[in-house]
Amino acid sequence: MIKDKFDWLKTIWKKPDKYADLKKFPVLSEFSSFELYLLNNFLHQRKFNKGELLYDKDHPLEVIYFILSGKVEVTGPTHPKGRFIVREFQILGLIDMFKEEIRSSSATALTEVTAYAVSRFDLKDLFNQNPHIGVKMLTAFCQTLSNYIFIISHPKRTKEL
Amino acid sequence: MNWTKWIFYILLLALLVLGLFFYHPIIYYLIYAFIFSYILDPFVSWFERKKFPRWLAVLIIYFIIAGIIAWFSSRLVPGLVQQGNNLFNILSSGEQLTGQYIITLPFIRRIYEFLLELDTQIPGLGMADKLVDILDQTNVFLAKIPKLLIDNYKKIFSTISIIATVPLISFFLLKDKYKLRKGIVKMFNNRYFELCIIMMRKIDSTIGNFLRAILFEIIAVGILASTALTIVGVPYSILIGATAGVANIIPYFGPFLGGALAVVTVLINGGSILYVITVILAMYIVQLIDNNIIYPVVVGGTIKMHPLLVLLTLIAGGWYGGILWMLISVPLVYLTYNLIRVLYTNLKGFKII
Repeated sequence: MIKDKFDWLKTIWKKPDKYADLKKFPVLSEFSSFELYLLNNFLHQRKFNKGELLYDKDHPLEVIYFILSGKVEVTGPTHPKGRFIVREFQILGLIDMFKEEIRSSSATALTEVTAYAVSRFDLKDLFNQNPHIGVKMLTAFCQTLSNYIFIISHPKRTKEL
Repeated sequence: MNWTKWIFYILLLALLVLGLFFYHPIIYYLIYAFIFSYILDPFVSWFERKKFPRWLAVLIIYFIIAGIIAWFSSRLVPGLVQQGNNLFNILSSGEQLTGQYIITLPFIRRIYEFLLELDTQIPGLGMADKLVDILDQTNVFLAKIPKLLIDNYKKIFSTISIIATVPLISFFLLKDKYKLRKGIVKMFNNRYFELCIIMMRKIDSTIGNFLRAILFEIIAVGILASTALTIVGVPYSILIGATAGVANIIPYFGPFLGGALAVVTVLINGGSILYVITVILAMYIVQLIDNNIIYPVVVGGTIKMHPLLVLLTLIAGGWYGGILWMLISVPLVYLTYNLIRVLYTNLKGFKII
């Protein structure tokens, strides 16, 4: 009884987690609150209407997106079918991030989309200045890309995308 | 055409113009605060990475700066004030610095004797007397300096108020740096926000790197010049070294200003030609170190402009706003050119134009 009251009191005093949304991303699941605070400094929340273009092929490549809600259709040569869907808690622009200066694909919102945009250069600066964050995030990026390569190299599993 | 939209934009523009008119007296404060913030930002970020809140990081930096200033004040300022006062006394003393006094200085004496010889060979030329007249007029101007200071008390007061206000504005700029950036990006719609981020990053890196590099160069050249002049035994070495450090910002001409000041000081104090050559050599060595080590390493490729363009920009800057604008005109033109270039490239890239 007393414990219930104490837990109830704790819920009153405990501040809501500022970075709860970010922790839902698999690539950020291992991050501490302080690391998420540092990352959050560079994030810009954007909303896109259904049918709105997030970016177009051959546009300069500056930001990558952490999709918070909604679905985005990506059309370009980085998938065997020429198109694929990026869903919530996935990252958009990751394949181009380390190689290209311009976008190799186009992305359009299939539903209303909320996303965090972050400059890839800000992200690289963050990695350089905080190597522990860099190691965690680059490991997570490698896992994501590895899964992606594994899936597209097994045609039966391409439905997962 | 959507008239409501147009009326809204016109009202918004009118509001902006009114806002600029209302806030224009503090624009200089903001510029200084931005410069100050850019220089301090890497230190604040370093503390932030060590898990200090930004507001605390800024306060720590302020305390460190206050400590350094206090330390330097206790160590250097008495000497600097003494040197400044001596120089000021000589300059403002009508008796010591008359044309007749100046021509007794060895270097000027030789010129005077040469002109006298010319006068004897070409009757009616009177060049030697003209030289004394010119030196007398210089003296009249220099003797007015104390009066100029009193007459410009408003400007001096304004400078003191800037020194007091700028750290306060900088505190908020540094503390809320990311909030401000997010606020600016939020104002742009989805079509332009990526361009906005690119521009902000470019401004951030270009201005930030340039200012920090220049500050380092000023300090390095100031210390080197002061040390070199002290070794050679020039009076007012710290004052001249500090001036040489600041003047060094002006490309091509700056280094000569520091050297010229040192040479003039030596001549006023009756130094020989050999002494003058030693001073020139000392300043030349400082310039060699700056040009071959400090500048390439620290400032690097921050400014790449054709010498002719630099010269024209300096003349235009000097004509527009005197020494201050000579100091800032070259970096300002370079930054403006760079930003326009990046803006144009990206407007084309995003197919906006």
